[in-house]
Formats: sequence, structure tokens, C-alpha cells
Amino acid sequence: MSIRAIKMPARGSRAASRSRRERAANILCFVLLILLALIVMFPIYWIFRSSLMSNGELYAYPPAFVPPAWRFENYPETLKSFEYLKFLGNTMTILLPAVFGAVITATMGGYAFARLRFRGKKFLFTLCVGSMLLPSMVTLIPLFIAWSKLGLVNTYWPLILPHFCGGGAFNIFLIRQFVKTVPRELDEAATIDGCGFFRILVFIIVPAIKAAMIVVGLLKFIELWNDLLQQVTYITRRERYTLALGLNIFRGSFNDDWSSIMCATCLSFIPGIIFYLIGQRYFVEGIVMTGMKN
Amino acid sequence: MTVVPKKKKIRYNRSETRTAWLLLLPSVIGLTCITYLPMIASFALSLFSWNGLGDMKYIGLDNYVRLFTRDTKFYGSLLTTLEYAGISVIGSIIYSMIIAMLLNRKVPARGFFRAVFYLPYVLPALAVYLGWKWLYDYNHGLFNYLIKLSGGTSVKFLDSSGLVTPSLALIAVWLSGNLIVIFLAGLQNVPRTYHEAAEIDGANAWQRFWNITIPCMTPIIFYNLLMSLVSNLQVITPALSLTQGGPGTGSYFMCFMLYTQAFKSHKYGYGSAIAVILFAIIAVFTGILFATSKGWIFYEGDDRE
Repeated sequence: MSIRAIKMPARGSRAASRSRRERAANILCFVLLILLALIVMFPIYWIFRSSLMSNGELYAYPPAFVPPAWRFENYPETLKSFEYLKFLGNTMTILLPAVFGAVITATMGGYAFARLRFRGKKFLFTLCVGSMLLPSMVTLIPLFIAWSKLGLVNTYWPLILPHFCGGGAFNIFLIRQFVKTVPRELDEAATIDGCGFFRILVFIIVPAIKAAMIVVGLLKFIELWNDLLQQVTYITRRERYTLALGLNIFRGSFNDDWSSIMCATCLSFIPGIIFYLIGQRYFVEGIVMTGMKN
Repeated sequence: MTVVPKKKKIRYNRSETRTAWLLLLPSVIGLTCITYLPMIASFALSLFSWNGLGDMKYIGLDNYVRLFTRDTKFYGSLLTTLEYAGISVIGSIIYSMIIAMLLNRKVPARGFFRAVFYLPYVLPALAVYLGWKWLYDYNHGLFNYLIKLSGGTSVKFLDSSGLVTPSLALIAVWLSGNLIVIFLAGLQNVPRTYHEAAEIDGANAWQRFWNITIPCMTPIIFYNLLMSLVSNLQVITPALSLTQGGPGTGSYFMCFMLYTQAFKSHKYGYGSAIAVILFAIIAVFTGILFATSKGWIFYEGDDRE
């Protein structure tokens, strides 16, 4: 008590000067953040601004930072030759089932690892976590050979089915971390009420970890959305092209028409941005959960 | 209330075991059929010469011998991959750490900023690279305009073998928004009391950063380092979408080499040998990281299992 009484005034003044310094530092950080955010966003703005200009305007020097005329008509014009909706439909035909499969099977696996006790658990878990470090490129050739032996190259199966197999080690791990935060008492109460493991999973665990499942879905979505390699490897027929492959072909045939290419680029940004805006909140929450325990 | 002592010996309930294996069935199939078996198959395939149609011919280590002694592009590919991974891993760790530190302060609109820095990560890869190609354009690109504005001469970012790797690595840094979120999560876990105690002892911000923040963050840094190293050594998308490996071997990443050898030239055995070497490289780096981790990772308390 007495020590505190003596120290209080000294600490008080120091605290005041500290909070003043703290506030100055916060303002500095804020300014820095604005600058960095402008730099990071600038490429996206530049792409967008290019999509609203004619090629003549694009090739002018010095370049205009704001489109001289906002040519929104570029978009309908681009859509005439860029089969956006068809490519988007193809992409979704792959993505939606794959994401669904990943979420379901990762949830099953994550729940088993978090809650159930069984022989071989440690071994299996080690295999699972170990596979996160294994380069997936190493499996590319044998898997391609296997799929072509099955006659399924140029179908969507090689791009969908693998995601029904656990949805990736990271996602299983993420679900496991979340399930571990659900109080065990809930399970026990349900067991007393006569629920089996499956019913506990469906009626108790799933509602409690919905956020995590959404995160897994979003992460999977982005992963597949960005996965050009698998699409290039397995799909060669034009009518089956995804957005990425379609954009690539479009780029090839409109070599110097940067205005149209930038339009097509912006169009393919849209679904990702929409999904991100919807899931943003869950995203951060989910990554916070796993980031800590690693 | 009586406390039931915990049984030491684990007794497995049979129905529980059965349920668990049933739930894990998809994962088990995945781990065997799409991860571990193909990996073994890759090792086996690397000892053969096979074009995908005719007979497979066992040739022992010939594929490796050819890679190391006769393939003129292999060392270029190796160096390019290492250079790309080096720049993009170090760059993105530093970049995302700085952003995360800034975001960890009490600043307005944090959620908005977080969204901004994360955004590049959710955009489709090919579109991103196309956009950047335009920014890097020799005649009309933004960067060359800025260079000319400040008195320099135009630079061929993607068309010179020396600059293409760092130019592509810069895009990787720009795309590393997911690391920011993980760092941020870690920073929020650094106990505030440590900072307060150090401040009372008169430590300045810099000292606190080096002696508190960094040590507390080492497990997260380790995780991010490991994961981004594994993924960046497997880089292929920029080569696939923009540069097709060139100019020279400037973007002829090992994965791209693997891809071209296997799927364009139909040399499956040769491609598999490249895959095995890539695997070995990643294993060596992972091994080094794990081996040194005891020396530099700080685990708070006995948090370790």
C-alpha cells in the first residue's frame, strides 16, 4: 500500500506523457496505413481505370490517372467476345461441389480428431499434419496418369472429387481447433440423452462451429479459384473452360487490346470480391483461431 | 462429490473407434490415394523413361544424371526458383509483419484496412498477373511512367532475364495478405503486461519490439516462414499465365519445368525426377527450419504439448 502511495504521482505524470506519445504514434501509424493502403490498392485502381478507357487513351503519354471519359460501354462490348457467363458457370460447376465436399468431409475429420478416441489416431493425425508440408506438385504427374487411365481427363471429376477426400489437412486441422473450443459438457449432456456420435456432430457440433465451416468453404473457394495449374492440366476443351482459362484464351486473341483485356480482368475480379465481402468477418475469426495454436 | 480418478490406460470403445474411422474415411482415402501413394509413385516413375503411351523402360538414375549433367536449363531453373522463393518469402514476411504491427495499434477503420490489405489475396490469380503485366508494360505501363517521371529510362520488367524474377516476386509480396491476418492474430496474443512491465523499466519502443514482440511472435513467424517457403518453392502460376518460363530461364521455375516436360513433351519419368528433386529441396529447407527452430523459437510458459 505505502509503496503504491509513493509511486502513484510519479507514475501518473509519466502515464500522461506516455498517453500523449502513444496518441502521436497512433496518428503516425494511421497516416502510414493510409499511404500503404493507397499503394496496395493502386494496381487494382489502375486496372479498373484502364478498363474504362479506349486503347487510344491508354497509349497516350503521359497516362491519364483518371479516365478522360468513363467508358462503361467497354463492358458490354467486351462481353460480346468474352463468354463471361458461360465461363463463370463452368467455374461454379467445379467450385460449388468441391467446396461443399471439402466442408463436409473436413468437418467429419476434424470432429473425429478433436473428440473421438480411437486406435491409430496419433498416427493418422501425424500423417495428416505431415501432408501439409508435402509439396502437392510431386503428386501431379501420377495423379494425371491415374485420371487419364480412368478416362476422366477433360471432365470436371479430377477437379471435384479430390475435395471430397477430407478437404485438405489444413482445413481438417482448422475444424479440429474449433471443435475443441466447444464445451465437452454439451456432448456429454447429449450422450446422456441418448444421442450417438453422429447426432452429436450434426445437432451440437455443427451449429457451434458454423463459422469455422464457412471459413473452410471460403479458403477452399479462394484456393480453387486461384488454382490455374489443375485447370490447365485437366481441361483442354474450350467449351469446358473456366473463367481463368477463358481469360487466358481471351488475352491470347486480343493481344494488344488492353482496354478489353482489362475489362475481362475486372469482370473476373467480381465474384471473388463478392465472396470476400460476404465472408470477411468469418475469415479473420477463423484464421485467428488457427494462427494461435500453430 | 467424489472425484473419479482418471484411468491411465486408454481403453478404446469399439463403436467409438468404428465411428471415428467412418468419419475419417474420406480423409484416409484422400491421404492414401491423392497424397502418399502418388508421392511414392512419383519416386518410382522417376526411374523410368515413359512417354505415356508405349512401354515403360527402367533406366535407373539416368533421368537424374541427365538433369544434373546434360540439361542446360536445369541449373537456371533451380536458381530462378530459389531466387524467387527467397525474395518473395523474405519480402512478404517483412511486408505483412509491418502491416500487421500497424494494424495492431488503436487506429480508426482497422477493419477497413485489414480488408484492403487482404483483398489482393482473394482475386483470381490469372487476372492479377494480367493486370500486373499491364502495369509492367514497357511502353505504357504505370511503373515505367513513374520511372520516366523521376528521370530514369524505361525498364523491361518482364522481358529481361535478370528482372523478371524479382518483378514476379514483387507480385507475390503484394498477394501475401493472408500472412497479415495470421501475424495480426499472433500480435493480439502478445501479453500486454509484458509491454507495460518493460515500459516501466524504461525500455523504448524499439527495445520492446526486439525483446518482447519479436520473441513472442517467433512461433508465428516460424509457421508463416515454413508455409510460404513450401508454397513459393512450388511457384508456377506466373510462368503459366504470363511469361511461359522466359526470357531465358528467368521464370523457368522448377514446377514449370516439370509441367512442360511432363505435359508438353510427354516425358513423364523426366518430369517425375524434377518433382523428386523439388521434394528434396523442400525437405532440406523444412529440415533446416525445424532443426534451427529450437534455437530461436520462444515458447511462452509451458504452452507446448
